[in-house]
Amino acid sequence: MTDMKKRPTADSKPVGHVTIADRRQFLIGSAGLLGAAAFGAGTSLGMGRARAQSRAEISFASAAFFGKETFGDLIKAFNESQDRVLVKNIELPPPSSSTEVYQGLVQQLARRNGTPDVFSQDVIWIAGFAAAGWALPLDEYFPADKRSAYFTGTLDACTYGGKLTALPWFMDSGMFYYRKDVLEKHGGKVPETWPDMATIAAAAQKAGDIDFGYLWQGKQAEVLVCDAVEIITSNNGAILAPDGKSSLINQKGAVEAIQFLHDTIATTKISPQDVLSWDEEPSRQPFTSGKAMFMRNWSYVYPIAQDPKASQVVDKVGVAPLPSFPGGKSSACLGGYQLGVNANSKQREAAIELLTWLSSTETQHRIALNFGLAPTRPALFQDEQIKKEQPFMASLENVFTGATARPKTPQYAKVTLALQSGISKALVSGKVQAEMDALADQITKIVA
Amino acid sequence: MTAAATISSAGRPRRLGRALPGAFWVLILLTPAFVSLASVSFYPIVNGLYLSLTNTSLITQDQEFTGFANYVQLWGDPQFWNAWWHTMWFTAASTMLETLIGLGMALILCEAFKGRGLVRAAMLVPWAMPTVVTSKMFGWLFDGQNGIINYILLHAGLIDQNVNWYGSTSTAMITIIIADVWKTTPFMALLLLTGLQTVPNSLIEAARMDGAKGWITFWHIRLPLLMPTLLIAGLFRALDAFRVFDLVYVLTGGGPADSTETLSTLSYKVLFSTLQFGYGSAVSTAMFITEGVIALVFVVYLVRQIRRAQ
Repeated sequence: MTDMKKRPTADSKPVGHVTIADRRQFLIGSAGLLGAAAFGAGTSLGMGRARAQSRAEISFASAAFFGKETFGDLIKAFNESQDRVLVKNIELPPPSSSTEVYQGLVQQLARRNGTPDVFSQDVIWIAGFAAAGWALPLDEYFPADKRSAYFTGTLDACTYGGKLTALPWFMDSGMFYYRKDVLEKHGGKVPETWPDMATIAAAAQKAGDIDFGYLWQGKQAEVLVCDAVEIITSNNGAILAPDGKSSLINQKGAVEAIQFLHDTIATTKISPQDVLSWDEEPSRQPFTSGKAMFMRNWSYVYPIAQDPKASQVVDKVGVAPLPSFPGGKSSACLGGYQLGVNANSKQREAAIELLTWLSSTETQHRIALNFGLAPTRPALFQDEQIKKEQPFMASLENVFTGATARPKTPQYAKVTLALQSGISKALVSGKVQAEMDALADQITKIVA
Repeated sequence: MTAAATISSAGRPRRLGRALPGAFWVLILLTPAFVSLASVSFYPIVNGLYLSLTNTSLITQDQEFTGFANYVQLWGDPQFWNAWWHTMWFTAASTMLETLIGLGMALILCEAFKGRGLVRAAMLVPWAMPTVVTSKMFGWLFDGQNGIINYILLHAGLIDQNVNWYGSTSTAMITIIIADVWKTTPFMALLLLTGLQTVPNSLIEAARMDGAKGWITFWHIRLPLLMPTLLIAGLFRALDAFRVFDLVYVLTGGGPADSTETLSTLSYKVLFSTLQFGYGSAVSTAMFITEGVIALVFVVYLVRQIRRAQ
């Protein structure tokens, strides 16, 4: 044990040392290569070998996403685009097995041997990795002027303890789906506040235009925390205090918000009791089969809703930012994978180069088109090609603007289990204040 | 040892026999089995016990010996006791139901009738299915909106509106128990059937000659003779039911309001979601101890049964 604790301090010097040495080597190498490029003889075999030797070798680990290509193809493109860095791609399980991805990353990072040099991480792991000292602070590489190109909510999620420890890559967030045709009969205006939404939904349900007014996800699972973050933030409430050392979930804003969710089942009855056992897919099915008016869900629903084979509501679905409480601001729970650099990387410069490339406008553009994953740079939503090929994604800029991070704490894994259990209890029993008080105590104990 | 002695007296292997005494041979030959068992079974258990006495966590990188601190925390952890009671309730209810229904099935399958072989084979289908498939299937059967169970009950007039089986704290666990009973009863039936087949037919024939009715034959001849099998089958089933994971994980994830959280799902969450290996191992050790106690109860009862029979 003791040696494990010592290691970081013992290591920190050599790491800095190696980096400088590497930088020198890298400069010499690139100078030589510049000469070679001037010769225009880069294609010859001998030259190719010399080039491979002088390249800094680093590794990149990420959950495996698929689309028209894979992340392996992306890394190959990077390797071919320049001759300073050679990246080895380490493929982790797909994002649907995020617990396994998490374990895989933690095991590798905990070894502190510099592998993987660059990695992608779910937004909820950022604080934990930063607090453990595994993620390199990126402030010196990405000063304020470079950061302004990203959505503020995403940047916020990438910041821990005042330091930028991750770089935004691609994102998703909760959004408000509505049925255009049903809404037309009931005012035609997309509700901007939760009470308005409940009134319209109840009216449509009463008129028999629809079976369910509003669908959301109440299963005791991570998605319940997302739904809760959105509705609590939209009432100016919060789960954690700004200093992250105590919980505010038993304060007025949060309690009212959870009460509203409970009321959708118990009082206004705009949601079926079943939402308490539904996560994303079970709630999506009634919506795309035309039984529901409003729904909170992620961006993946839209392509399904537009697929005539799977949906009875083709061209009848609209998407908007989620409603808020009067006096609050619409909030969308942020999801997606962000980039990080291993603090123990022995090839820091090369790692930063890969990081910069992966998050660049060009690469995010490519990821948007080939993987269907939304960029974290607002400017790309105005891109003509993205607008043409991914029109739905391009329309989400105003939804993503309200993206809000889930509680930022290195103890997130414990906090989320407590939240799932506590909120589920409040929704089932209806004793919102009492359950929130108990939950706040429990969370404060975890994070204090 | 006697064999070794005989061989050595036969002549040739004598020298070898002298150099290596019989006990040594026994040890050498047992070593591979011992090493493999020790590495896959003994070592993990001991290591788990050791981990449960530390505060090991992958995230904080702690790894210090903390004595019984984890167990003290466990004792005062309402989440743990909540999961413990659910697990005990699930184990008791499912084992009981499976034993009763399994016994009924075994009694039927024991009788000679046309197509018995086919029925015996068909009976095993639920048991042969992967539990995750069973879970998904029951997820649909008991679906709150489109489930066939709700449809049938509603049309039969037994309920006046759809029941939200997995979303209500009062029905979620019962539904999971029903799924488990459907899946594992064939296993019990199979074990009990083999037990029934060991009951000598002559005894039953003799009873019939004396004018005993079916019920009496069952109560006084078959059941007492079946008791050891029944207890062993119950023990297997109870220990297996205690570890229930897949049904809960797929159907409810422990919800709603922790009403279906079991020790397996709780220890999975603690171990692999929060990566607290120390505390998680304490939960697992508590499971291990509880299972040991359950096994002990069954074994004591079983030994008493066997003694009484003698």
